[in-house]
Amino acid sequence: MQKSSEEFVNAIENKLNGKIQIQIGTLGKAAITANNGIHRDLIKVMLEVDDQTSIVAITGLDLGTNLGVYYHFRSQSGYYTIKAEVPKDNPHIQTITDLIPGALFAEMEGNDLFGIVFDGHPSPGRLVLSENWPEGVYPLRKDVIANQVKLVPPKNVAAEPDDNKTVKIIIGPQHPALIEPEKFSVSVEGEIVTKVEPRLGYVHRGVEKAAELRTYIQDVYLVERVCGICNGPHAWSFSGAVEKILNVTVPRRAQFIRVITLELNRIHSHLLVLGHAGLEIGYETLFQYFWRDREPIMDLIELTCGNRVYESMISMGGVRRDLKETDSPKIKAVLEDLRKKIPFYKQLYENEPTIKARMKDVGVLKREDAISLGVVGPVARASGYAVDVRKDEPYEVYGEIPFKEIIYTEGDTWARMNVRMDEVEESINIIEYALDNMPKGPIRVDIPREILAGEAVNACEAPRGELFYYVKSNGTDMPDRVKVRTPTFANLPSFFKTAIGGSIADVPANFVSLDPCFSCTDR
Amino acid sequence: MVDTKTWARVKSPWVIHFNSGACNGCDIEIVALFTPKYDVERFGVKLEPSPRHADILLVSGCVTQQCSERLKRVYDQMPEPKFVVAVGACACSGGIFEGNYNVLGGADKVVPVAAYIPGCPPRPEAMIDGLVKLLNTLNPPPKGAKKQIKGASAGVTEEKPVAKE
Repeated sequence: MQKSSEEFVNAIENKLNGKIQIQIGTLGKAAITANNGIHRDLIKVMLEVDDQTSIVAITGLDLGTNLGVYYHFRSQSGYYTIKAEVPKDNPHIQTITDLIPGALFAEMEGNDLFGIVFDGHPSPGRLVLSENWPEGVYPLRKDVIANQVKLVPPKNVAAEPDDNKTVKIIIGPQHPALIEPEKFSVSVEGEIVTKVEPRLGYVHRGVEKAAELRTYIQDVYLVERVCGICNGPHAWSFSGAVEKILNVTVPRRAQFIRVITLELNRIHSHLLVLGHAGLEIGYETLFQYFWRDREPIMDLIELTCGNRVYESMISMGGVRRDLKETDSPKIKAVLEDLRKKIPFYKQLYENEPTIKARMKDVGVLKREDAISLGVVGPVARASGYAVDVRKDEPYEVYGEIPFKEIIYTEGDTWARMNVRMDEVEESINIIEYALDNMPKGPIRVDIPREILAGEAVNACEAPRGELFYYVKSNGTDMPDRVKVRTPTFANLPSFFKTAIGGSIADVPANFVSLDPCFSCTDR
Repeated sequence: MVDTKTWARVKSPWVIHFNSGACNGCDIEIVALFTPKYDVERFGVKLEPSPRHADILLVSGCVTQQCSERLKRVYDQMPEPKFVVAVGACACSGGIFEGNYNVLGGADKVVPVAAYIPGCPPRPEAMIDGLVKLLNTLNPPPKGAKKQIKGASAGVTEEKPVAKE
C-alpha cells in the first residue's frame, strides 16, 4: 500500500528513535542523518516500510576533514537522502550491496573518485578511472588538482588462462556493435553465457570535477554534453536543481516550452534506439526505416531550438528561445505524419518472425529483480515496475497533461522495445496538448550569477529513465559539487543479470534493449 | 596504374568510426550519414567495422586516457594509405572537455589528423563537405596549379593531404 511521506518518515522515526536525525523537506522529501553502521539499520527499516524503496545514487562529498556519503533513495512517496560521514584519514563505511544489489556500481564509483572504502563490497576495483591513474589519488577531493596528477605506467596484469570449459569473448572497446568504446569480457560455455565482466571508463571525461571549476552558466552547456542524445534532460535537471536552491518558479509559458523540448528529445531518442535494435538483430531495413522517420523530428528540434543535436534550449530560469506562432502547425503536421506510421511498426513487432525470434523471451528481467537492482525508465516499465518521474513526482506542467504510463509485464527485449514505441505515441499526444494549451507570457526569469549556499536534488524522466542530479552551492558563482546519476548507470547491472544463462547470440539484442549510453555512464 | 588506384580510392573510400571519448552527439550524426536522408553510400563511402579494411578513420570525441592507446592501435591496424578525420570540436581540440583530468586533448595528440571538421556536433552536411575536401586532395593537382602545402598528415602518397577548415 502506498504511504504518504509523513507516514513513511514517522514509521522510520518510531523504529530508530534517537539514533537518527530527520530534516523534513531537504534533499527530496527528507534528509536523514545516520552514522556508519546505523545507515544499514536505517535502510533495512526503509525496505520494511516500503518494499519498493530502491537506491538512486551515492554521492561522495569533500567536507574538509570528513568525507560525506549521501545515499539517495526513491520510495513510492518520493526521494529520501541518508547523510553519513566518514573521517578523511580513515574513510571506511559498511557496504549496502547485500541489502540493495543495485548499489554495486555506485559504491565502486565512490571508491574511485573519493577513496571511500566500502567494507564488504563484493568486487572492489576500478570503475571509471584509467589504468594509468595513480593509486591513492582521488580526483574529486578538493585538495587534488586533478589535471596536474602525474600518471603512472599501467600495471601489466596477466590474463587469466581459460579453463577447458569456458571461453572468454572480448567485446570492445572497438566493436561494430558498440557505437561507444567499452569493454566486456563475456565467458561462454558452449553457447551459454556464464559471466560478464565489464570494464567501463573509456568515456570518462571528468565532467563532475569540471563542473566545479566552471560557472553555473557554463555548467548548463557542460552538463548538456554529458550525453549528446538526451542533452535536454541534463540541462533541465541541472537548471531545475539550481532553481530549487533559489526557490524560483519558472514562468508558465517556459514550462510548456520545456515540456515540448523534452518530449521531442524523447521521440528522437526512442526512434534512434528502435532503429539501432533493428541493426543488432540483423534487420537493417528496420534500422533505415526508423532513422528515416527520425529525420523530420531532428528538423523539428532544429526549428524550435536552432540546432539538430544540442538544443541549448533550457537554461536556469526558463528557456532561451520562444516558440513562434507559425511553428505550432509545422510541428503538428510532422507529428501527425509520425503518428500514422506507428501502427505499421507495431504490427511488424507483432507479426514479423525475425523480430519475434530474436526478441521474445530474450533477457527476461523479473519485476522483483527490477526493484532490487534499482532499474529505471522503459526497462523498469517493461518489467511491470511502474516508475516514471513524470507521474511519480510531476515536474513542470506534467501534472496537468493527460498521458498514459506505458507498462508491459513480459520483461523481455520485445517488451522494452514496445514500451518505447508506445511512448513515442504518448509523447506526440503530450506535445500536441502543450501546443494547444500554452499561454502567452515571459519565457524566463533572471537568475543571479552567484547562487546562495544550499543543496538540492532534482530528477527528471530522460528517454532512458530517471536522470538524477545533486547540486551543492556555496555562495559563489561556481557550484561546490555536482553529482550526475544517469539512467544507464542504474540499468546496466540488470544486463549482467539477464545475460547470464542466455545464448551469446542474444547478447547484442538484449544489450541494446537497455538503450545503453556510456557517455552518460562514465561522464 | 597510380591514376587508377587514386581513382578507386576517391570513388569508394571505406571509413571506420572510432569514438575516443565522445558524448554521442557526433556519433549519432555520423550514423545519420549512412541513413536515407544523407546516404553517403551513394558516393561510395561505406562504413566498415574492421580497421584492417578501412581507408579513413573518423574520430569523434576528445581522447580520454584509457582510449588513447586503443585509438593508436586502431590507427596502426589500418593499411596505408590512411587518413584520419577529426569529427567535432572535441576531436579537433578537446573542445569543452579540454583540460579535464582524464582528457588528453584532440585526436592529433595521438594520431596524425588529415582533416578537421569543427562543430558541436558538425552537421552531416559539414561532414560530407569535409570528406569531399579530403578526397579532393588525393586527386593529382591540375597542370599548372600550385603545389600543396605540407603539414600534419598521414599516407604515403606524394602529395600530403591537408584539408583544414
